[in-house]
Amino acid sequence: MSGVRVDDVHAAHGVRGIDLSVAQGELLVVLGPSGAGKTTLLRLIAGLAPATRGRVLIAGRDVTRLRPGRRNVSMVFQSYALFPHLTVAQNIDFGLLVRDTSKAAARARTRKAAETVGCDHLLDRRPWQLSGGERQRVALARALVREPDVFLLDEPLSNLDAELRVEMRAELRALHDRIGATMVHVTHDQTEALVLGDRIAVLRDGRVEQVGTPDEIWRTPVTSFVARFVGSPPMNLLPGGLAAELGLPPVEGDRLIGVRPEAVWLGAANGGEAVVTRVDVIGSDAHVYVELGGRSIVARVAADDRPAAGAKVRVAVRPGDVHHFATTGERVAPP
Amino acid sequence: MNERRQLLLMLAPYLIGLTGLVLVPFGVTLLMAFADYDMIRAPRWIGLDNFTALFGDEAFRAALRNSLIFAAVAVPLRLLIALGLALLLHRRAGAVGAARTAAVLPTVVPEIAYGLLWLWLFNPLYGPVNQLLRAGGDNGLTVFGRTPPQWLTDPGDAQAAIIVMSLFTIGEIFVILLATRQALPGEVYELAAIEDATGWDVFRRVTLPLMAPVLGLLLLRDTILSFTVSFVPALVVTDGGPPPYGTTYLSLFVYRNAFEYLRYGYAAAATVVMLVLTVLAVALQWHLIRRYRRQYGLAPG
Amino acid sequence: MIGRLARDRSGTSGPSPYPTAAARRWRSLGAILVIVVFLPPLLLLVAGSLRQPGLPPPPGPQLVPEPISTAGYERAVQLGGLVRATFNSLLVAAVAVPVSVVVASLAGFALARLPRRVAGIVIAGSLLALMVPATALLVPKFAVFRVLGLTDTLGALVAPALLGTSPLYPLVYYLAFRALPAELYDACRIEDLSPLRTWWRVALPLVKPVTAAIAALTYVLTWSNFLDPLVYVYDRDLFTLPLALRSLATLDPTNFPIFLAGAVLATAPAIAVFWIAQRRFLHRYEGTRTR
Repeated sequence: MSGVRVDDVHAAHGVRGIDLSVAQGELLVVLGPSGAGKTTLLRLIAGLAPATRGRVLIAGRDVTRLRPGRRNVSMVFQSYALFPHLTVAQNIDFGLLVRDTSKAAARARTRKAAETVGCDHLLDRRPWQLSGGERQRVALARALVREPDVFLLDEPLSNLDAELRVEMRAELRALHDRIGATMVHVTHDQTEALVLGDRIAVLRDGRVEQVGTPDEIWRTPVTSFVARFVGSPPMNLLPGGLAAELGLPPVEGDRLIGVRPEAVWLGAANGGEAVVTRVDVIGSDAHVYVELGGRSIVARVAADDRPAAGAKVRVAVRPGDVHHFATTGERVAPP
Repeated sequence: MNERRQLLLMLAPYLIGLTGLVLVPFGVTLLMAFADYDMIRAPRWIGLDNFTALFGDEAFRAALRNSLIFAAVAVPLRLLIALGLALLLHRRAGAVGAARTAAVLPTVVPEIAYGLLWLWLFNPLYGPVNQLLRAGGDNGLTVFGRTPPQWLTDPGDAQAAIIVMSLFTIGEIFVILLATRQALPGEVYELAAIEDATGWDVFRRVTLPLMAPVLGLLLLRDTILSFTVSFVPALVVTDGGPPPYGTTYLSLFVYRNAFEYLRYGYAAAATVVMLVLTVLAVALQWHLIRRYRRQYGLAPG
Repeated sequence: MIGRLARDRSGTSGPSPYPTAAARRWRSLGAILVIVVFLPPLLLLVAGSLRQPGLPPPPGPQLVPEPISTAGYERAVQLGGLVRATFNSLLVAAVAVPVSVVVASLAGFALARLPRRVAGIVIAGSLLALMVPATALLVPKFAVFRVLGLTDTLGALVAPALLGTSPLYPLVYYLAFRALPAELYDACRIEDLSPLRTWWRVALPLVKPVTAAIAALTYVLTWSNFLDPLVYVYDRDLFTLPLALRSLATLDPTNFPIFLAGAVLATAPAIAVFWIAQRRFLHRYEGTRTR
């Protein structure tokens, strides 16, 4: 049985025919640039935005015409949307009490949910007394307490600082594995997607570009868009004519070759001759921009091995790490 | 949708009140302006007769003139004083909290009590205002040897009295301007300080443009209110006099004609003139505000 | 004008946007000047009410009358029927203020949650209503009330509560509810809260300062309402305080301690309520900024 299925859904704000299915207990990450329709998709599943066409099924139930409160979903918002006038405990049991759960039962479940996410020591505080990470936990507990069919998370980590984001990312993954819930997690951060997701759906302009495991997305991006969106700095897309200079087998001229910066090899014995135009050092890594045949190529190397700007280097590519795309962007088999 | 229906239901009481107590009566007023109606016999349509009669009526002309003078003098003064108070009192310093309260208190006094208070204060003989003005002078004259103002018997002085009364009831405007000033971002003042702008420059180039939208709205609102504000003072303090029509304002004219002389149609026609004037004043001010906003590159409208 | 002077002087003391000691002194001085200008009318009101009725007027201004006498109050209460009038005023306020606040907040909430197109029409109508002077509506409202049998009843005085006393207040609530984060409303929908329960459990508790200010203003307006009772109520037993006060003043317009005493009695409750509520909107910025 599927956790969530979305059939050819259309909506305002640029969702133009999305098909997706999320398995029971799966964590699907929806990834895409801003304006791709990620959040709208999430709101469609929640029922906060109306679908103009198509169907939404949750736990095998067609919920397309149901209002949000009847879909048995819970949502963690980007701003967490905690109620400022309620304590943490009241925030968590809000959904239970308005559904007429008994006070005693609600209290027990609240405590359990709070323990699960590690915020049980905060129950008497008010939201404005909490740090960003603590608010995040409370929002998760509130989502958890009703034991919904699916959790919807709308960029829940984007308001945290970098360090906390990495920590909460790991905790979120651990939480998912522990409770085995179905989750749909929206983000524009490709690292977050790769680390968190059982599978990733890459969205572009209101359509699904590719769905697959992080490994598939990384190794076999089906379009040049996915290839460039996942990975930092983005994959180099070069005209096929440059193949020979990079020490690759010849490629038809109307093909694009995609090379990740990690696969660019500076200082090869028989590579094309290029000039270093810029070097960005990021800690132990360096992004080296070189110009070859009028094209800029970025390489990722260890900072210790970096050439100086203005230096001449020989550039080559390891043949196994090359992707081929048609000019329309679709992936094609290597020649 | 169910939710939509519930929201409309929540809106319903207000909608009933708004249409029943304002919009429909307003429409009825517009209609009655063209009728002869005394609430006993059925209304008789008489076209523009009410209006031609109005402009031949000395009382109406006086009321019109008085209302325009009141609006032209009192409204800008009220706004200026409230703005000055807001700028003075927006920041903490000794006595500022007490001054805020003091500035609002007269506005809280019920209109009629406020009117009675000034009826006494302005009494030419034993009222404190003139007692103060006579202090130091001889034979009931001021220090400068002049007769103190005859607040209730001289037409000019009586109008001045009504305007003076209105200058103390600016609490509402003051509170709104105070909140507006406090909501302005501190960064723009820090930037102005870095650019070494001082006093007047900061006021003219930073504070005034930033507060202009609210000031504009308050100007519109106070102009509209000025027709009502003068009613109770004129009724209670000066009784529309000194005779014949020293402080008869349009609102008092309408009230007297409708409820004392039972000439509803006539009163409605005067109301329509009042509304037309309001709309003209609002349109003129709106035009000026837009020009000012465009000058500062703010979005028009 | 007073403020401008002080401002300019504080400006010359340095370009700092933050107050220097000298600037603060000028500001305090200006504040004291404001108090000196705005407080005397009220002090004189109290002073005048405490004079012995019937005495010849003093030759000069007196802030403390001599002798102090409460006879004015006793006569005012007897002559003016102020006890009955106070009861009527309280009755009107007790019904009108809660109804008005509920109507205004419900309408403001609905406007904030309804589609913009629907809300826009109602808002335009409210703005139009704000432009109509109260005196312009006296005659047709009188006709409406007469048809409904409300003339010469207190019902005519409670009726304005049906539109929130002033169309301004639903608009203020509308802005306040609109300013709440949209995700809070989404969270309520996810938890299956109906609009009415969202209003009561989430939206209203979050705009308490607005409610305090509007309730206080509504009370002051209702308590002070003079025009409506003047036109719609004739029975002396139904007179509210402002109306009773007027008839007291017309009874003997020269014996000012009596009607000033009545004015003090009518003013005191309005000032008391204002005093309680003022902390919420006059001084709130100092208190809650640290949040």
